[in-house]
Amino acid sequence: MTAFWKKLRSQGSQPPEDVGCGGVMAQLFEYIDAELDEETVEKIRAHLEKCSRCYPRYNFEHAFLRFLGEHAHVEAPPELRKRVFASLLEESQD
Amino acid sequence: MGQDKGPKREEFEREALVHLDTLYNVALRLCGNASDAEDLVQETVTKAFRAWDKYETGTNCRAWLVTILRNTFINQYRRASRQPSSVQFDTVENIAVFDDVKDRDPEGSFFHEIVDEEVKRAIQDLPEDFRIPLVLSDVEGMSYAEIAAVLDLPVGTVKSRLFRGRRRLQQRLYEYAMEMGYIR
Repeated sequence: MTAFWKKLRSQGSQPPEDVGCGGVMAQLFEYIDAELDEETVEKIRAHLEKCSRCYPRYNFEHAFLRFLGEHAHVEAPPELRKRVFASLLEESQD
Repeated sequence: MGQDKGPKREEFEREALVHLDTLYNVALRLCGNASDAEDLVQETVTKAFRAWDKYETGTNCRAWLVTILRNTFINQYRRASRQPSSVQFDTVENIAVFDDVKDRDPEGSFFHEIVDEEVKRAIQDLPEDFRIPLVLSDVEGMSYAEIAAVLDLPVGTVKSRLFRGRRRLQQRLYEYAMEMGYIR
């Protein structure tokens, strides 16, 4: 059990209710994007740890988004960089 | 800001020009070609430099720059006859690629066979309303709130477009991988 739930339990709260496969699927991207509150994250994580249907699906989507981040990266061309720096120099001398 | 112009330029270079790759990436996805994208970035940087005194140090510089870039694009580069701003729902978005591949390649390792050029082309082929949130999130790592601010949209709209864009892109790359024989 994580520190978060230990803390809640010490305050008299119960462990998280299972969000269910539907709940996990509805919030899967938000979970991967780290856009959910701590309580929801814990519920989803707890479900993923024990659900053999949801975990592979999560793993697949996560891998896809990691792949996108790695393979769609673009760098500014060196000529553009030079051009921009030159224009700033000119601009600040005006 | 000091009276000497050197420090302003140095500060601008340090704070703003570190985001040049991001600006170029977004410009390229908006314009669709390198030449227009370079002009758009140049113009954005010039405008941002002139307005640098208005930028509040410590706030989100990247979001500030991307906002200027996007507004400049809308005002000057977008042709009047471009695509409509709303995008029809596509049945493709209902299809989860995972269901098709879970027995053959549940880890999605076929994605890694796809060359970067094809990934970039597939992104470019997305409707603009889906393309830009996807690039800002999945390539540039911005949060939903940052994207919403930059695109002047409600967070719910950003999420919906981002998720739909991801579904379309995934489907398209999956089809490509099938055609190439990366997955059987």
